[in-house]
Amino acid sequence: MRKLLPALLTVLVAAFPALAQQGTLEIAVDQAPVGLDPHLVTAFSSFVVIGQIYDGLIEFDADLKIGPALATSWEVSEGGLVYDFELREDVVFHDGSEMAAVDVVYSFERIMAEETGSPQASRFSQVESVEATGEYAVRFTLAAPFAPFLGNLSNLSVVPRHVVEAEGDLQRVAVGTGPFMLEEVVPDTYVRLVANPDYYRAGQPQLAALRYNVVPEASTRAAGLRTGSYHLLPDVDPATAQTIQGAPGVELLEVQDLAYTLLGMNVEREPFDDPAVRRAINLAIDREEIVTAVYFGNAVPGGPLSPGLDQWALDTDEFACYDHDPEAARALLADAGYEDGFELEILTFGTIKVVSDLAQVLQAQLTEVGIDTTVNVAEFGTFVQDWRNSDFQAFVSLNGGNADPDGYLYRTFHSTGATNVYQYDDGTVDTLLDRGRTTADDAARFATYAELQRILACQGPVAHIAYATLFSGVRENVDGFRQMPTRGMRYLRETGLD
Amino acid sequence: MTGYIVRRLADLVFVLFGVSVLVFLMIRLIPGDAVDILLGANTDITPERVAALRERLGLDLPIHRQYLDWFAGVLRGDLGVSVWTGRPVTEEIVSRLPVTLEITFLALAFALIVSFPLGILAARARGGLGDVAVRLVSIVGLTLPSFWVGVLMLYAASIWLPAWPTIGYVPFGEDPVGNLSRMVLPVLAVSFPMIAGLTRILRSSLLEVLSLDYIRTARSKGVSQRRVFSKHALRNAMIPVITVIGVQLGYLLSGVVVIEQVFAVPGLGRLAIGAINERNYPLVQGVILVVTAVFVFINLLVDLTYTWIDPRVEVA
Repeated sequence: MRKLLPALLTVLVAAFPALAQQGTLEIAVDQAPVGLDPHLVTAFSSFVVIGQIYDGLIEFDADLKIGPALATSWEVSEGGLVYDFELREDVVFHDGSEMAAVDVVYSFERIMAEETGSPQASRFSQVESVEATGEYAVRFTLAAPFAPFLGNLSNLSVVPRHVVEAEGDLQRVAVGTGPFMLEEVVPDTYVRLVANPDYYRAGQPQLAALRYNVVPEASTRAAGLRTGSYHLLPDVDPATAQTIQGAPGVELLEVQDLAYTLLGMNVEREPFDDPAVRRAINLAIDREEIVTAVYFGNAVPGGPLSPGLDQWALDTDEFACYDHDPEAARALLADAGYEDGFELEILTFGTIKVVSDLAQVLQAQLTEVGIDTTVNVAEFGTFVQDWRNSDFQAFVSLNGGNADPDGYLYRTFHSTGATNVYQYDDGTVDTLLDRGRTTADDAARFATYAELQRILACQGPVAHIAYATLFSGVRENVDGFRQMPTRGMRYLRETGLD
Repeated sequence: MTGYIVRRLADLVFVLFGVSVLVFLMIRLIPGDAVDILLGANTDITPERVAALRERLGLDLPIHRQYLDWFAGVLRGDLGVSVWTGRPVTEEIVSRLPVTLEITFLALAFALIVSFPLGILAARARGGLGDVAVRLVSIVGLTLPSFWVGVLMLYAASIWLPAWPTIGYVPFGEDPVGNLSRMVLPVLAVSFPMIAGLTRILRSSLLEVLSLDYIRTARSKGVSQRRVFSKHALRNAMIPVITVIGVQLGYLLSGVVVIEQVFAVPGLGRLAIGAINERNYPLVQGVILVVTAVFVFINLLVDLTYTWIDPRVEVA
């Protein structure tokens, strides 16, 4: 019977042409996907494509609320250790085979297996066991309560075992359960996906196909949107946004970004080993000026959490060191023994304009309080290596955010955090971070993260600068596309062309 | 003659070997390998996972082992596989080479067609209005970077001729009109500096030849002005022009690399830039090797052309 279902659906779609998908949405992206295996890739350019091909058990919407995907419902046990998921029973992979609980278990095990080398494994280190408790039921058991677990689980792409075993990995073939199926990859030219006729959400996708055109130059993408060669530019930088604004037939969408710019300080080295100096740096920074000069006004100053996470983030009014005060900064530096300032080298890179511009403005602002600042614009690969090895005095960069506060704060500021390149080690902060991830109650969690934000904003190893407005450009005949703060593109399945 | 060509081709092997060692070392001297680049500054990956990934890609082996493995493959005609896609490097290059060659040779042809009349015009009207105009334009052409000209033309076309497909690439076999209409702007953009360079060298070379005794003799014999140019002056003025064409072809190739980026054309340049950015070692090595071979081959052709133009030049 279940084998009949896809066939039946195909017949239904064919019988009701009004339901059939129409049109190809031309998307212009800056980079070709670097591999397609959802468990192996890390490049954003890959996720933009893969997100349409694979599903997770649950997913985030544009308001960062978790909703059902392959799972219809879930229950969390008292104490928060056992998560039971009920799965949809009408889902098939793109090759026609059924999706069931064993596929979820297999996908999880594949991520965790050492030989896979999946970069996502560390997200699930709290999981003790996974089992299929029925043909369409899965149980995750955690070793300790872990509040961000559901959020992390939204990243678990369910893949079919037999395809992985036949192909070795999923870098070149793609067989998922998502609204679109891989049709063609022409390297450095385009990736074409076509509608999945057996997709489990009725009436979706609305488009017949998606074409991701690879166009490295921002001005070329903008020209293509103007002429209508492209319908959608998913990520438009502020400078290009200005040139598109007001062009006939083009609409700019905007949303608050979770990613932030920062000045990172190495607390192992002088003078940033002294919290008073880090505070002075924050006082010396004029964030309003940066928003105007670097972002053309399209950003807001922010603390450790994005203003986009409005249920978690504190207002910057709560951070005393955010009032620009060069005099106070000088006084603090003098008290700390740096009355003549000090020499500072800021490491940065040139491939993101906002970042290199920010480094220059910071140089000017810090020089004003007597810090003799130079900027070292390194090639990106060099930057990453020095960053990873904590081989810097200070750096300026742009970091991605996370929909759950733990997702960003723990790995960055915990003394054992995977990206704590600042060598920051603070007992109170560690305790609060551990408490935050094991607390289930939202109000209690909020209190913990509020306290953390107050500590980290002024004394932490990172001076958080600003959160940009994220722009995307669409043609006016595109319907139903919504931009997400996570830069995810799940709304493509609800998008249509007039 | 045949012996000469065989010797030159044998040289090619040594050049390629040298280049392969250099490229192999240079790409590894740039800090950060494929794993670092791919993980970027933003993942919560543990060091053990990084090590596992590096092992998968064979990056944990000592450098001489990596080179020997790769070189043994090259001798068998196998350039290895692209790190992330797993596609054979040879396949990637073969699919891109025609695109780059199409732009290069269209640009060369266009440059020749335009610069010859211009150069001759300037030489004949030496000091006159035409000469001054041509020299002025050629200075401008030499000075403006082709990527800037490209972006400007693209922007203008998007406003005034929005229906004209200018971005991207379609194979000639699939859609000849679409292919050529997308070639117009990139070819124009990369050919400007070459037109400027060729016009200038042709003008000065012609002027030099025109002042020689045998031209005066021809003129005093009553040979027509047109014949003096076409029969006597032009051919003898060609040697420096051919040399410049050879050199300019190199510049042209590098110009095409940049212009492919601007117009989103999937040629060798895009392949190389992408490969360098993601530290896709086998791909970088393969592309550089092939480009080197093409370059050496063009030089050989240029040298052979000398003998055809001026039979006194011996190559044996």
